[in-house]
Amino acid sequence: MTMMAAQKPLELILARNLLTSISTPAFLVDQDAALVFYNEAAGALLGRSFEDVGRMSPEEWTSTYGPFGPDGKPVELDELPTTRAVRDGRPAHAAFTIRSAGGGTREIESSAFPIVASEEGSSGAMIFFWPQKPNGAEG
Amino acid sequence: MRIKVWGARGSVPAPGPEMNRYGGNTSCAELTLASGEHLILDAGTGIRTLGLDLTTSPHVNILLTHLHLDHIQGLMFFPPCFRADADITIWGPASPEASLEDRVARYISAPLSPVEVRELPCDVSFQDTPPSEWQIGSATIRCEAVNHRGPTLGFRITEGDTTVCYIPDHEPALGTVLEQTEPEWISGYDLARDADLLIHDCQYADDEYPLHVGWGHSGMGDALTFASRVGARRLLLFHHDPLHADGFLDDLHAAARRRWSELGGDPAVVAMAMEGEELEVGAAATPAGLATTA
Repeated sequence: MTMMAAQKPLELILARNLLTSISTPAFLVDQDAALVFYNEAAGALLGRSFEDVGRMSPEEWTSTYGPFGPDGKPVELDELPTTRAVRDGRPAHAAFTIRSAGGGTREIESSAFPIVASEEGSSGAMIFFWPQKPNGAEG
Repeated sequence: MRIKVWGARGSVPAPGPEMNRYGGNTSCAELTLASGEHLILDAGTGIRTLGLDLTTSPHVNILLTHLHLDHIQGLMFFPPCFRADADITIWGPASPEASLEDRVARYISAPLSPVEVRELPCDVSFQDTPPSEWQIGSATIRCEAVNHRGPTLGFRITEGDTTVCYIPDHEPALGTVLEQTEPEWISGYDLARDADLLIHDCQYADDEYPLHVGWGHSGMGDALTFASRVGARRLLLFHHDPLHADGFLDDLHAAARRRWSELGGDPAVVAMAMEGEELEVGAAATPAGLATTA
């Protein structure tokens, strides 16, 4: 018998299939806010594909990619839109800086949407990223 | 365990001489446990003739995967519903919107029906399927939400060391490539894993599927890939499209067996569900191949 990770709930499977099919950079986290998938567009933004990094705990992915506030310090885990979406079951939005695998930084805006399939609470969240144009860019 | 197919058609009943061998009734299968209890899987139009066959004081459990009409249409014509000595428990998916009874009553009520649920003389109860496994007679039952349009369950039924998995409406390949997807990300994987018999959606031939992506059903190739990925020991292809006459289904069956061979399996374990067919299902030690007795 082969070992496998626990079966993902259907709503996360469908969310992942959606994220796979779109070009907006996006993360998918589970009910523990662990990063369980990000799409190719997010991989391009971060400089590494999800297949290269695999599942990451909240501590792991925040220490790898940030985000960082205007003062350059890491944003507290509790303050992230992701955490608020999973914990409170409410959408959340914020702007901050992330760091790519190559060490470069990008200004982004991020919106997190909870995925709630039952009264038992959130199964996870989808987080979409909108990279900001570099300073001075037009349009 | 013993399975009898009472209706293998999907979407809408498809009567007619060209449908006689596979049958035109919609989804319904009867599982007879070693303990003698009957589990009825879905209540499509096939349940009407099943009910005619229940001559003793009926105590039955009906497991509904979902409430699309092809899975509940026979309920109003199920003869035990009109017998005062019948004891019927209907299990189905929970909903935050309304109780299972209220949702079924949208069909068994005016103007669609001449009777109301409350008027049925039988002793009928409605139960939301529990999130964890539960027991009916000697069977342990587990259900999971699977990918279809609207809230839909698949069932895993285990008695002793024998497991039957029933997923009649399922599109696990929607938005993903089944051959390459990790198991935990495949809808229904855990439910169907290592089943001795998998009863699975095969509504479309592969060349029909592209026109029906997102409709909640599988093409033949995806049904076989899913069965192969989960390690099903036998596969009963189910939920035939109402346009598929006997000759078409014969050809689809032959193509499915060829494809299964290409996947490395024994083609004899792949069958097309046929109304009236009975299957004896044994555990893994049972030699591969369908033991058709009717």
